[in-house]
Amino acid sequence: MAAEKTIWKKLIWTWKPESEFEAGDSIVRNLLLHWFPSKITFRSLSYRYSFWLGTASAILFGILTVTGVVLMFLYVPSVERAYASIKDIEFAVAFGWFLRGLHRIGAHLMVAVVFLHAVRVFLTGGYKNGVAANQNRPLNWIIGVVLLLSTLLLSFTGYLLPWDQLAFWAITVGTNIALAAPVVGEQTRFLLLGGNTIAQGALIRFYVLHCVFLPMLVLLLFAWHMWRIRKDGGLACADQLALDQKQEKAPPIKSKTYSLLGIAGTRTVHVEAALVDEDRHATPASPSLTLRLLVVILATVLLASLMTIVVEAPLEEPANPAVTSNPAKAPWYFLWLQELVADTTVRVGGLTLNGALVGGIIVPGILVGLLLVWPYLDRSSVRSAGIWFGSDRWRQNIVFLIIVLAILILTIVGTYMRGPYWGLYWPWETWPDLPRKF
Amino acid sequence: MKTTKPSPDAARQPHTTGGEGGQTRRSFLDRLGLGTLLTAIAGQTWMMVRALVPNVLYEPSLRFKVGTPDRFPEGVTFLEDRRLFIFRNQKMFYAISGVCTHLGCTVKMIQLNQPQKVEIRGKLTEERWEFHCPCHGSKFYAEGTPYAGPAPTPLAWYRLEVAADDGQLIVNLMEPVNQDFRLTV
Ligand code: HEM
Ligand code: FES
Repeated sequence: MAAEKTIWKKLIWTWKPESEFEAGDSIVRNLLLHWFPSKITFRSLSYRYSFWLGTASAILFGILTVTGVVLMFLYVPSVERAYASIKDIEFAVAFGWFLRGLHRIGAHLMVAVVFLHAVRVFLTGGYKNGVAANQNRPLNWIIGVVLLLSTLLLSFTGYLLPWDQLAFWAITVGTNIALAAPVVGEQTRFLLLGGNTIAQGALIRFYVLHCVFLPMLVLLLFAWHMWRIRKDGGLACADQLALDQKQEKAPPIKSKTYSLLGIAGTRTVHVEAALVDEDRHATPASPSLTLRLLVVILATVLLASLMTIVVEAPLEEPANPAVTSNPAKAPWYFLWLQELVADTTVRVGGLTLNGALVGGIIVPGILVGLLLVWPYLDRSSVRSAGIWFGSDRWRQNIVFLIIVLAILILTIVGTYMRGPYWGLYWPWETWPDLPRKF
Repeated sequence: MKTTKPSPDAARQPHTTGGEGGQTRRSFLDRLGLGTLLTAIAGQTWMMVRALVPNVLYEPSLRFKVGTPDRFPEGVTFLEDRRLFIFRNQKMFYAISGVCTHLGCTVKMIQLNQPQKVEIRGKLTEERWEFHCPCHGSKFYAEGTPYAGPAPTPLAWYRLEVAADDGQLIVNLMEPVNQDFRLTV
């Protein structure tokens, strides 16, 4: 070993652990790493299992926080100056276009990646408990659903800040959906806007929600999310290993779990080590997990930066309450909802139910409700926890995929096939007037 | 965690003065303290939330003057900042809201190339314009009744009055009226 210690290695790898003890120690002692396990299974590390989508979400949140804080120094949350300050950021501030673009692309990517992460978790049965004691993965799934909603809200509140036409009409439609909610609708909208009209009161409220309240909420939920993963003994795929070993070995000792990853209760690493075949299935988190984390950070930052250079961040004319842009579209991740509110006004006899209530509140409410209770309805065996397309979960996976597909189709129709006055047009058809796509 | 130290409760025993129902002075004070703390937190939370519900709104008045009748040409005038169509037919005036009843976008007035005969609530009428909403494609006849798209109700009609002092038209957004309303000046 000593011969390998070139100067290069001395410079770069001084922190590289020399023994298992050092490897574990380096995790536990480190402020930034102590929430990692000291050892991790190869399966949990693999790209093919998780695609590292949750990690990518967290990195995007980091990018958004850093760029967002810089933007806060440059942006003025007042009706008179918001639009001009964004214009300044875009055209006058050095690298302002990049900062704003990165923040914007980061937000779009984050919505997409968080959603894909949820899809991954569902399809792998990642919300299912395995064999270890004190697991509560369904709870972590619920935390995840709240994180998804918070991400959408973050994005939606950010959307208003430029105070351009895009922003103004998206918020008009969005807050009027709240208005359609029975009983509490009117108060909710009033509280959200700080009045009855979309004006200064609304802007400052959305600004504070966007820059302080929601990011803090996401951060807290994220910490809870990670803590639960440790308590649950790592990713669900690790439970399959434990099950395999149960079959290989003599009946396991009741009070002990396989898991190295959950530092549950009073168990020590050594007691647990007896049950997971370490060398075959697990590796020290330092450097395996830390290195891979760096790779994912690099990939995410690169992708977001490249997209920022390629994709232009739009800024429409300043907000004008008198003229609705035509067509007026919500951000793409809400277009399936816009399709729903446009198509779901039902008339039964003399009774009319506004599409805002049906498509804007009832349908999404049912979907979120289903998401929340689904882990408790899932009766599949423990063998389907942490397995892609587990064999006794095929029915639920199909139902889930159909819903996802429906949402995607509505999103695509809303994005590419809706023209002036929300008319249907093929993507290659030209629109009659002269409107812009977004 | 097992501990060999005497529990805190045991340490308290000597102070027991034997209140009724096992209540001691100390446990009473404990509860009083905790209660006070919780009440204080609840009260302050309430104050902070309440502070976010505005008491005064600096919003435009819902009843406002729009100018003397002779300012309005024959036909239609769109008051941009109020999102309101004012119609004039000789001496008769009426006002239709430009706010779509679906989700609040501003409708656009579409002038028809040729007058069109349509049946509205059983009556055959001739119309020269319609309102179309850009957001989700609701369409309204000339007097505001929706016939396509998601809008659930007709565009609102508002009361017009003549100001006693200077003869200006007054729009009253607090008073919706039906579609037969006309103000004659
Ligand atoms: C601590 C975290 C964050 C801070 C301090 C922050 C701050 C800001 C500020 C000051 C703006 C206005 C400047 C501008 O419009 O470019 C903005 C815009 C925006 N933010 Fe954030 N943000 C944060 C996180 C997020 C997250 C997590 C998302 C979504 C997942 C998001 C989505 C958006 C969007 C969509 C805009 C509109 C951008 C545009 O139209 O140009 N932000 N943010
Ligand atoms: S707001 Fe007019 S159709 Fe939806």
